[in-house]
Amino acid sequence: MERISDPCIRIGFLVNPIAGMGGRVALKGTDGQFAEAVRRGATPVSTNRATTALRPIRDLPLFFLTCSGEMGENALRESGIKDYRIICQCPSRSSAEDTRRACHDFMNEGVSLILFCGGDGTARDVFSVVEDHIPILGIPSGVKMYSAVFGVNPVACAEIVTHLNEAVLRDSEVVDVDEEAYRRGMLATRIFGFARVPVLPLKTQVGKQIFDEPDEELAKKAIALFFSEILRDDTLYILGAGTTTAEIASNLGIEKTLLGIDVIKGKVLLARDADERTLLSFLSHGEKAKIVVSPLGAQGFIFGRGTQTVSPVVLNQVGVENVIVVATPHKLAETRMLYVDTGDEALDRAFGDSVLVISGYRMGQRKRILHPTTSNQGGPKH
Amino acid sequence: MKTKILLDEGEMPRQWYNILPDLPTPLDPPLHPATRKPVTPDDLHAIFPMELIRQEMSPMRHIPIPEEVVEILRLWRPSPLYRAFRLEKALKTPARIYYKYEGVSPPGSHKPNTAVAQAYYNMKEGIERIATETGAGQWGSALAFATCHFDLDCTIYMVRSSYAQKPYRKIMMQVWGAECFPSPSTRTNAGKAILEKHPDTSGSLGIAISEAVEDAATHKNTNYSLGSVLNHVCLHQTVVGQEAKEQLAKEEVYPDVVVGCVGGGSNFAGISFPFAGDKLKGKHKDVDLVAVEPAACPSLTKGVYTYDYGDVAGLTPLLKMYTLGHDFIPPAIHAGGLRYHGASPLVSRLVHDGVMRAVAYHQNEVFEAAQLFARTDGIIIAPETAHALKGTIDEALKCRESGEEKVILFNNSGHGNFDLSAYDAYLQGKLEDYEYPADLIRESLAHLPKGP
Ligand SMILES: Cc1ncc(COP(=O)(O)O)c(C=O)c1O
Repeated sequence: MERISDPCIRIGFLVNPIAGMGGRVALKGTDGQFAEAVRRGATPVSTNRATTALRPIRDLPLFFLTCSGEMGENALRESGIKDYRIICQCPSRSSAEDTRRACHDFMNEGVSLILFCGGDGTARDVFSVVEDHIPILGIPSGVKMYSAVFGVNPVACAEIVTHLNEAVLRDSEVVDVDEEAYRRGMLATRIFGFARVPVLPLKTQVGKQIFDEPDEELAKKAIALFFSEILRDDTLYILGAGTTTAEIASNLGIEKTLLGIDVIKGKVLLARDADERTLLSFLSHGEKAKIVVSPLGAQGFIFGRGTQTVSPVVLNQVGVENVIVVATPHKLAETRMLYVDTGDEALDRAFGDSVLVISGYRMGQRKRILHPTTSNQGGPKH
Repeated sequence: MKTKILLDEGEMPRQWYNILPDLPTPLDPPLHPATRKPVTPDDLHAIFPMELIRQEMSPMRHIPIPEEVVEILRLWRPSPLYRAFRLEKALKTPARIYYKYEGVSPPGSHKPNTAVAQAYYNMKEGIERIATETGAGQWGSALAFATCHFDLDCTIYMVRSSYAQKPYRKIMMQVWGAECFPSPSTRTNAGKAILEKHPDTSGSLGIAISEAVEDAATHKNTNYSLGSVLNHVCLHQTVVGQEAKEQLAKEEVYPDVVVGCVGGGSNFAGISFPFAGDKLKGKHKDVDLVAVEPAACPSLTKGVYTYDYGDVAGLTPLLKMYTLGHDFIPPAIHAGGLRYHGASPLVSRLVHDGVMRAVAYHQNEVFEAAQLFARTDGIIIAPETAHALKGTIDEALKCRESGEEKVILFNNSGHGNFDLSAYDAYLQGKLEDYEYPADLIRESLAHLPKGP
């Protein structure tokens, strides 16, 4: 199990000072919208959120590297932390470029973790620099937090940092939501990549450890092993994005694209990164097919309207009953419900109220499904 | 109208009811794991006393309960039959709901009904020590209680995760004088082999059974004891159903529906076999016998009716039963006593023949039912028992729809006073609805051992 085990932990810390400002003035994010947010009367919130996360950890033997002013320094100072060094001077009107520049500097300094405060946009900026080379953890302060890199709340982030040596690193999706489309009420998610995120093993609960595999990698292997047992040579398998489906393929000796949709049959890779047309051409001979998907992002999308999920046409062709959802127990523990929004209401409804998610070797969990017609809002709720 | 229907001590059954002779054709025999021939009494004698082996295969419809056993059972038997008026009211059902409460025994469940008998026969045959396994601790504490009355030593292999999480059950066993080890342990080869491969394993019932069987087989003065599944265990539990029948007769009713939860099947056998006998003999053809199991470990509803081992290591005889495969490790539902891959061959056979039927439920709905019952009738029941309650409630709700005034009897097999952390998890919304992916697995049941 991979962990962070540095005796003197150095943390890169940054705040996106404008994150979370859009929400109260009915903007779905502030990328390129800062002026509009201010015009509508938004005030910065992220420094406060960051301070809430920092206060409980101010007495820990940690050393912070950070940015000047609003981009980090202020929050550290307000929370009473003294062990920090400013390695990046930033202008008061910060931009995505400043975030990326800071992350480059953190990388060069060899920090063990980047703790950032922001939303999906910030996560994307951080990830675009560090990729999976340095673990990252988000203090949630955005309007949109579909990426699975955030603690549940600032205090939960403090908890993770406090117990960093017990935390395990998990591949977690950084999700890119098309903000333009989102502002128009349409959800189009795309996986941007998989960051390494520290998560604490599930809190000890009676019964829990008897089965639930606390090690993410072993849990994925268990799912993959089960899958290899139920694989049928006469069936086409459309594997969605993610590390769990990648493990399923890898266990069959197939290298799958992490972000794309691949097609296999009889343990042979037929198509990588397939688009809708390719999928439909495979299905045109009425072949038996199954779709294997993993819930994505913090909200547990199994089907969204993004470019990298299976389209409603393909889904209709294969049939909802031939969808196999897979996810590790840890992921499921954090994702109380799954979410389907294919853009086709009848199709969404065909999923019913719940779905069986394969979560281990010969094991599943029944999970509730939300779709736009069951939830009163257009989008998923936190 | 009475809430408690009680019997005098003098009205306690003096015989167990053996359903074997009432089956239309003989039960498929257990097979020797090596030869795959029917096991002989000699094969079993290495770990069981002769009298229990005789009972396992007995053609006698009634088997007398030894006076020494009756004397100890009298500490809590006859157990009360309750009418759940308040539950009926809460459900607005015209059905009449009765339950037999086995939680009044000192260990708190139906388990000592057989533990006492088994300890007695072992003592009679000069055995000095009994080894067994326990999952959640109900069976271990029952056997510890029973052996203490006959001056037998008792060694209990307790599934490691429960050992850590249920200290009170372990302490009960120790108070009654038993020794209790977390399983896998280094005391047996089976345990050592597992520990070598998986040092961090949390253990399982199947592994613990392997350890206890090995302990008994390798020590001359030691026998093995099983708390469920086998015919003689079901036999000993029939005091429950016999008393219930008597008590219902005092109310001048005969049940339309009899419900029990099924782990290995013993408490359900106990409450239902006396009624199943009536059904088999054509006396009450319509009595509906309902076994309730968890959706996470649904042997009767989703398993295959075939020969399979009783344990993980494959040391036990092959039993013809509904099974999910002996290598299936059920998920960590809180009803630990229902986490068994198979089911009693007798119950399996009766389900297979359509004399009984089975239903399965998810954890959360089961705890929801248990919480309702705690609020209406007061008792905080064991998570295992809560499955039977959920089945009962659903039957009662059907009566609300149809207007039928059915008499429903369920076995309230034990209290949940040591299971409060499970209730806590439920209240906090932390229970997962585990479910066995039966449809996917049906395509791949190649791992079951082949029959003869
Ligand atoms: C209270 C209670 N009920 C039911 C069971 C299930 O066992 P069986 O099916 O043998 O009755 C158990 C097993 O531990 C139990 O403790």
